[in-house]
Amino acid sequence: MRWQFIARIIGILLFFLGLSMVAPLLVSLHYGDLSRDSFIRSIVITMVAGLILIILSKKQDGDDYISQKEGMTTVALAWTGIGLFGALPFYLSPEFTSFTDAFFESVSGFTTTGSSVMIHIEGLTKSLLFWRSFIQWLGGMGIIVLSLAILPFLGVGGIQLYKAEVPSPVPDKLSPRLSDSAKILWGVYAVFTLLEIIFLLGGGMPLFEAACHAFTTMPTGGFSPKNASIAHYNSAYFDYVIILFMILAGINFSLHYQMLRGRTLAFWEDTECRFFLGLVLVLTLVMTWDIYGSVYTSLKDAFRFASFQVTSILTTTGFATADYEKFPGLSQVILFVCMFIGASAGSTGGGMKCARIISCYKYCYRELFKIVHPRSISHVKINNTVIPDDVLRSIMGFLALYIGLFIVSSLLLAGMGVDMMTAFGAVAACIGNIGPGFGSVGPTDNFAHLPVMGKWLLAWCMLLGRLEIYTVIILFVPEFWRK
Amino acid sequence: MKIIIVGAGEVGYNIASRLASENKQVVVIDKDPNAIRRLSENLDIQVVTASGSNPRVLIDAGIKETDILLAVTDSDETNLVACLITDLISPTTKKFARIRNSDFNPYHNRLKKENPHIDAVINPEIEVVNTIKRLMDVPGAVDVGDFADGQVKYVAIQLDRHSPMAGMKLVDFSSKFGEDRPLIAAIIRNDDIIVPRGSNTVEPGDLIYFVSETKKLKKMLGLFGKEIVPVQRVFIIGGGRIGERLAKILEKDSIKTKIVDADIDRCHYLSEQMDKTVILHGDGSDQKLFLEENIGQSDVVVSVTDDDETNILVSLLAKNLGVHNTITRIGKSNYFPLLATIGIDKIVSPRLSAVSSILQEVRKGKVLSDISILGEKGEFIEAIALETSDITGNPLKKLSFPKGAILVCIIRNGQVMIPSGDSIVKPGDRIILFAVKHAVKKLEKLLTVKLDFF
Repeated sequence: MRWQFIARIIGILLFFLGLSMVAPLLVSLHYGDLSRDSFIRSIVITMVAGLILIILSKKQDGDDYISQKEGMTTVALAWTGIGLFGALPFYLSPEFTSFTDAFFESVSGFTTTGSSVMIHIEGLTKSLLFWRSFIQWLGGMGIIVLSLAILPFLGVGGIQLYKAEVPSPVPDKLSPRLSDSAKILWGVYAVFTLLEIIFLLGGGMPLFEAACHAFTTMPTGGFSPKNASIAHYNSAYFDYVIILFMILAGINFSLHYQMLRGRTLAFWEDTECRFFLGLVLVLTLVMTWDIYGSVYTSLKDAFRFASFQVTSILTTTGFATADYEKFPGLSQVILFVCMFIGASAGSTGGGMKCARIISCYKYCYRELFKIVHPRSISHVKINNTVIPDDVLRSIMGFLALYIGLFIVSSLLLAGMGVDMMTAFGAVAACIGNIGPGFGSVGPTDNFAHLPVMGKWLLAWCMLLGRLEIYTVIILFVPEFWRK
Repeated sequence: MKIIIVGAGEVGYNIASRLASENKQVVVIDKDPNAIRRLSENLDIQVVTASGSNPRVLIDAGIKETDILLAVTDSDETNLVACLITDLISPTTKKFARIRNSDFNPYHNRLKKENPHIDAVINPEIEVVNTIKRLMDVPGAVDVGDFADGQVKYVAIQLDRHSPMAGMKLVDFSSKFGEDRPLIAAIIRNDDIIVPRGSNTVEPGDLIYFVSETKKLKKMLGLFGKEIVPVQRVFIIGGGRIGERLAKILEKDSIKTKIVDADIDRCHYLSEQMDKTVILHGDGSDQKLFLEENIGQSDVVVSVTDDDETNILVSLLAKNLGVHNTITRIGKSNYFPLLATIGIDKIVSPRLSAVSSILQEVRKGKVLSDISILGEKGEFIEAIALETSDITGNPLKKLSFPKGAILVCIIRNGQVMIPSGDSIVKPGDRIILFAVKHAVKKLEKLLTVKLDFF
């Protein structure tokens, strides 16, 4: 492990993070709000910390090669570092009293979770609200991917960092060169964000709020500058625009790219995408049926609110337009299951990912098939391509780890005195990067009342979920550190 | 007519022997001295022991005066290069190539139109799969073939005791069955071919070759006491090129298919290619596997491994377990006479398919197709009647039809007609004839242009 080398990359990323804080500073200057000084101080601290790391770590020979091990370590540490330094603007503002809360809010932002410890969101300054949304936007497509797109310094070794940050179960490179792929992904991402801003403006949302919401929809983040989230507007138009963009954000971005290049049937030809869209439709219909009459008196409303909650939770965005804890039991269970399924691989969404669910289903079917035909040879295929056995093993391992970590974390949280529903809900929401959970952390509540240790645990869960478990958990395996 | 054959394998041998018996000049080129020796000892042909894709060798063999080049080695590459070189040296020579790799399939047309201008690409695997598919579709049939682009079929079936037809005289057919009576081309009894006259009877146990319009086939089979039951479950043993191709076609028709192959890597490959077909890993002689997988419940069992003995065993086993319809691939032609006695009736052979399609191509002219049956004991010939040939213009009863030959049907403007003694063949009619081997030459004379025409 070349620590100097890793430190240098993290230093560069921190410097870069400091640079990105200029955006909320400009917002602060524009509105003349009180957060100006805290942003200036954060920028100075972050950039200086970055520069120190860069200067202390000397450039060595062979720096363009990164081993998989180093790649994973770098990414896991970089995300932790970014979470810490990204918390500075919050910590230096009077609204936040403890560093724990600031760190929780920052990690929740970068990992696009959207769980908040803020009791009174609208009491924050505009620039802080902007920073909350902006870090979700940065985290959505991946900070490393972004730096690969604009900074040429990583070169050949970048692929290990890329794989550690975007561990898609079914890898597809859009372009032979990694930096080109990264540019394409960010390009598509930026275009959709811009489109959503235009759509929201068209419905009469103020520019600041439209931008904040677009910045948190496309990364499937879920922070809103309003206390009541999207319910604040109570507008069917905004609901459906946001549903549309949440779905787009939950689809594999390489499909968007193919679509833009003229393969119009790309969505339909892709098994995972069909599964994802079908799931949204079916679950929406079931939930509409469930809440029609019992919660909503008009069918139109039932459909509107059902589709919003299903899309919001399934894509792991976490916006709220209704308190789903008042829904009947079936709808609540559907949403709880959605928290685990998540969006498509290669999208900005979290959760287990549809591709893994499909692979798991096919894998189990193959096992059953093998019992009936003991000597049969068969492969698990998605989109007519064979999923190699080692990839399948890694998917099964992922699912087992996901469930295992969910159980252990829930136990730990419950051990800190949190009730059962809240413990399950909070962990599922954080490990799946969703946002609102169940119990006392539901869509109308927040995470402020949780114990300090619980917040650190949940922040760790968010990182686990965002980096798809292996990258983070590997650092806790003793074998990893043996020489 | 001079013909050069590159490749002295089973295909080359069979073609050479057929062409030599028709008094053509045949030169065979092959690298393998043993294969060459077998030919030169048995056949009246010229042989060259060298590489057939070598230009020097081809020139020495007289490619420039050659009418037809047949490239039929086991190697697609050699065959292609031989055609390419021939195209350069002697562009007027007709070229036929045997190409087995199906990855070449999309390019067959371009190989014909562009360099190396191959006149016909023969892929025996495709032919065999088509034959298997035809045999499958007509469950009682032992042999099935197409004429007139599939409009007319010939079918061979074994007559059983319960058939309403058993014991009848052919003259009584028209009174009993009317217009839609079957056109019987040949009756095989105790290994002898009888070209039927009105006075002949059909007996239980006879193998009957008849010709029918494809759309009337179901009804015809009904007359014989056979029913067409749609095939739903197929068991294929051997996942080679034939097995793979067949399974893919069956998969498209949503027929439940299982394939067994002994090679684990091949199984993995097949599983990657197929969607619904069940791929099983096991030896063709593994009875336990077959019982486990319910081979007895299959409608058709197709054994197409590379090993004749395995195929025969599998088919016998399947018959024992109650499968009526088995199709067996046999490579060695000297097995054919034995198979009927042990109950293996439906046989396909890629080599014979290749031989017959190459011969069809070689003879192409006014003869549209020429299908050998029963290991070349008899031939179906489909031809266009020429104005100047003897067969046209006169009622059939006035023609001196050679013994052992019969005019089976006439297709005029798409209408299929059953000929009687008073029928007259008009120029431009498609006619289908059947002849036993010794009558073929005389029949050809009847079909070809009169000498005094020139």
